[in-house]
Amino acid sequence: MSRFFATGTDSESDSTSEDEPVVRAPAPVYTFSDDEEETKRVVRSMKEKRYEELEGIIHSLRNHRKIKDFSSALASFEELQKAYTRAAPVVQKEENGIAPRFFIRALVELDDWVTGVWTDRDGRKQLSKGNSKALTSLRQKLRKYTKDFDAEISKFREQPDLPDDDDDERKESSSSDEFEDEDKVVTKPRRSPEPPRRPPLQDDESSDSMDWGSSSDDSSSSSDDETRGATTLRERFLKRTTERDDEEEQDRRKKGRRKEQNRKINKKDQIDDGGEWETVRKGVATSDKPKMFAKDAEIDAALVVKKLGEVSAARGRKRTDRRAQLELLYELRTVAQQHNLGPALQVKLRAAIVAALFDYNPKVSDAMKPEYWSKLVENVDEMVTILLAHEDMVLSETILEENEQLSQAPYRIRGCLLTALERLDDEFTKLLKECDPHSNEYVERLKDEVRVSMLIDRVCQVVERDGTGQEICRAYLRKIDHLYYKFDPRAVRKDLPPGEETSIKKMERLCKYIYAHDESDRLRTRAILSHIYHHALHDNWFQARDLLLMSHLQETVQHSDPSTQILYNRTMANLGLCAFRKGNVKEAHGCLAELMMTGKPKELLAQGLLPQRQHERSKEQEKIEKQRQMPFHMHINLELLECVYLVSAMLIEIPYMAAHEFDARRRMISKTFYQNLRASERQALVGPPESMREHAVAAARAMRRGDWRACLNFIVNDKMNAKVWDLMVGAENVRAMLGRLIREEALRTYLFTYSHVYASLSLKSLADMFELPRQRVHSLVSKMIINEELLASLDDPSECAILHRSEPSRMQALALQLADKVGNLVDSNERIFEKQGSFFQRGGAARGEGRTRDRPRDSWNRRTRNRRRDDERSHDD
Amino acid sequence: MEVAQGALLGLVVENRLEITNCFPFPKHDDTMDEEEYQLDMMRRLRRVNVDHFHVGWYQSADVGNFLSLPLLESQYHYQTSIEESVVVIYDTKKSARGFLTLKAYRLTPQAIAMYKENDYTPESLKNLKIGYESLFIEVPIVIRNSPLTNIMMSELSEMIPEEEGCKFLDLGTASVLEGQLRSLMDRVDELNQEAIKFNRYQLLVVRQQQEKHRWLLKRTQENAARATKGEPPLPEEDVNKLFKPHPVPQRLNPMIVAGQINTYSQHISQFCSQSLAKLYLTQALQNAKEAKQNN
Repeated sequence: MSRFFATGTDSESDSTSEDEPVVRAPAPVYTFSDDEEETKRVVRSMKEKRYEELEGIIHSLRNHRKIKDFSSALASFEELQKAYTRAAPVVQKEENGIAPRFFIRALVELDDWVTGVWTDRDGRKQLSKGNSKALTSLRQKLRKYTKDFDAEISKFREQPDLPDDDDDERKESSSSDEFEDEDKVVTKPRRSPEPPRRPPLQDDESSDSMDWGSSSDDSSSSSDDETRGATTLRERFLKRTTERDDEEEQDRRKKGRRKEQNRKINKKDQIDDGGEWETVRKGVATSDKPKMFAKDAEIDAALVVKKLGEVSAARGRKRTDRRAQLELLYELRTVAQQHNLGPALQVKLRAAIVAALFDYNPKVSDAMKPEYWSKLVENVDEMVTILLAHEDMVLSETILEENEQLSQAPYRIRGCLLTALERLDDEFTKLLKECDPHSNEYVERLKDEVRVSMLIDRVCQVVERDGTGQEICRAYLRKIDHLYYKFDPRAVRKDLPPGEETSIKKMERLCKYIYAHDESDRLRTRAILSHIYHHALHDNWFQARDLLLMSHLQETVQHSDPSTQILYNRTMANLGLCAFRKGNVKEAHGCLAELMMTGKPKELLAQGLLPQRQHERSKEQEKIEKQRQMPFHMHINLELLECVYLVSAMLIEIPYMAAHEFDARRRMISKTFYQNLRASERQALVGPPESMREHAVAAARAMRRGDWRACLNFIVNDKMNAKVWDLMVGAENVRAMLGRLIREEALRTYLFTYSHVYASLSLKSLADMFELPRQRVHSLVSKMIINEELLASLDDPSECAILHRSEPSRMQALALQLADKVGNLVDSNERIFEKQGSFFQRGGAARGEGRTRDRPRDSWNRRTRNRRRDDERSHDD
Repeated sequence: MEVAQGALLGLVVENRLEITNCFPFPKHDDTMDEEEYQLDMMRRLRRVNVDHFHVGWYQSADVGNFLSLPLLESQYHYQTSIEESVVVIYDTKKSARGFLTLKAYRLTPQAIAMYKENDYTPESLKNLKIGYESLFIEVPIVIRNSPLTNIMMSELSEMIPEEEGCKFLDLGTASVLEGQLRSLMDRVDELNQEAIKFNRYQLLVVRQQQEKHRWLLKRTQENAARATKGEPPLPEEDVNKLFKPHPVPQRLNPMIVAGQINTYSQHISQFCSQSLAKLYLTQALQNAKEAKQNN
């Protein structure tokens, strides 16, 4: 065994971890405990240092091999090359230019591994692109590099089990091809009474990671006791390797911890060569726990607080190992518990742990890990339990450190439960957003929502007990945030047992408190919006509408922060849906128009980012936007939203279009809908509708023809039911409402479009045609007559609408329109002519003439305006 | 609007152009080279000993809005490369109603001159004395069928039942007129836009003139002041640098639109007079019928 094992590979080995090239010095973790490790450090020779470096790289190379991380292995290999070049002078001096055996061994191992993987074609195909690329280049580089060591390698292959520093064996050179000398290798007798520590490890690896596997076979073929020794050793190292595997998996996620552990393992290696390997497995905390206090120290509250102060003083510093800090805090807590130092100290320690847990995640934008999150919940929960159990305990951020009262009855502790809770809730949302919303993982996470809600409820109790009004508002708002989007089936039930609190009542209570006590407008705004949302969700249309109108939020909301605006958008979307369910099509359209007009409701509702176009937003912006996204379970179905919007637009726009067919400047009510309709009309061939949008457009076109049956079939059918309508609460009612509205609006459209071909219309036949009750037809026709949309009078005895033929026919209307346009043209032409004259005169033109010329055009305009009235006269003209 | 186009083949005989064959151009698609296709087509026709001289082209049209920028342009190219070429317009809508409408057009010399100059300012158009009515001249068409076709036609005419083929007495005029009115309206709108554009240009010019005038006035005053002081006068040529002339709006498009309006109007008036005649005719018939019944 060479000397450099004795010193152990320390920090250098870590520095080779290729994913993080920055070498971080090991954090001074054990400053509080003892520093016996420090004494172990010795001055090392050049050789040691170089060899250590090599050893470290080889070690990490091995690790990469185990997880088949080719790209990292490639990097490590390159590093190894460099390190060896650096070590070359030393090699020259110490070993007469013969490469050290462990280095050759590493090369051979690597070579075998690469060839093994290379020959395994199926396995290679499964590799990721980056990995397979790395593999190819690694193979090439390795081939080139090993050429320099041909002799040594072949020698090594003949006696692979020799101890590393044994290099006086002289054998005749054999061919460089590895596979040819396999058989030779097998036949060679083994001669290593005490195999060094590394080889068995390598044996084990090679047997499971590649098909070379000769050395393990060899060892079993040799003498008995040696086999036993080898197997036990292998077993021992098997344990260790698996452990290292674990370690490695964590490695990729965390650097600091690994560093820690590696170090520890190495230390273990030195201290007990073989003994208590189980304890290492158990983790850091148990193996060598940092010693908090001197053995015989009298542990009391003051001491613990002092210690806590020490620990938390390191908090936030660059080189602080957050994990170690956490462990220390846990330890401190156990100590405090053991010595029964009172609940207040417990709360304080828990608060410190919570803070440390929050600190643990270095990046604010990323979610913390679920296990840490649940630790967090546990701790906060525990804090709340203690607080609830002790009436006389106050936890507040207004209490200063020096005014704390930890030991006796009226406890006063500095800290803020509410902030912790809010942070915890935010982290929960982040966690949810982290995972794929369609996976089981999401469901699993979502189950924690109950825990969070319960926790919030309990925190509310605490805050109600001893918080200020503003704090209560904050706590309530958190509660509302977890409540407002949930549909409570009890709230819409008629036969509700009295005394049971539905979510509506709960919302009412919470919101009213906030309305009364909030001092910042933001909380109140959010509360109102959530309240409206909740009402809308439960079909309380009037309450929701009134609340919105009273709040006057529409005018001010664009000045508020983005997340409030998002909430506003969500509220409006739901209000629109609610209005639609209640049959208030116009209101529904009004609510949704703003959202749908822009064409990006997805972004407005924070339910996903639109694909990037020409770097519209920078990385930071995108990050911020991602943070604002709603978790999936709170999403509003966009297709439903769009469908409701299109259908309500159709119900408004189509009769309007029919009524104003000849209006020169008719406005569009809904631009989006109009565009869709136009696009469909422009198509030469319209196939049967597929998507929801196509259905809506097809229905609109059917309605234009007055074909309500087709229209209804397009809107309400199996496909649309599955896609849209079944998602609504009370789908049956909605469908019935749709049927009624479509009939009515189709009737109106029909009357607008075709009334000119009738002299009289029987209400009865109309009612039959549109399958509407006769009273309804009567009232609709009457309304149109009153609004002067239909020039007719009702004849009661015969139940007919007699149409007055004062409306110009379509032809006449067109002719009038043309006359209007020609008038305009003449006008502008004459103006050109007038200028033309002045153009040459180069002076002010006589403008007076224009007035007389304007007259005929004026009369045209008047005529079109009053064309209903003096239609007869204009015909005489 | 989609139009069908194709090449006409034939020969010049004495003072007339005989068109004896034609083939359609393929629909626009990127995979085929149109020119190649035409040449191929003509080569093959030559092999089967058919007239293969390119003498013009044809295009389908709706009601008469055939006049357009591309048409003018292609006809210009045709006429400059093949002197005798014509464009034949086939009105699909009217033909479908039973009026075969084939018209042949050639560009007038003025139109060719205009195109050659590639200048469509009002001034140059005025100098050329060209307007929408003098863009094209219509060439009379005489249709000659081969005796075989004539035989078949007469046979077919016997096969048609007596009631059929009287569609030209159809009294339903509204839909046709409506369609034409709508198109006419669109064109009028467009022309109006052009007029407004020109108007705006005029305004700009007038304003610029005034500004120029003011500037010159100021400059002369200044110069007068300088003259009294004995300083050299400032040059007056700067005015052209200061005031860049505005671009003159092109008048080709308005001219084309005006031409279209003209054709529409002609069509409408023609249609109306025919319809009126039909109505009178029907009225007379109806009266006669009623009189007969009463007797």
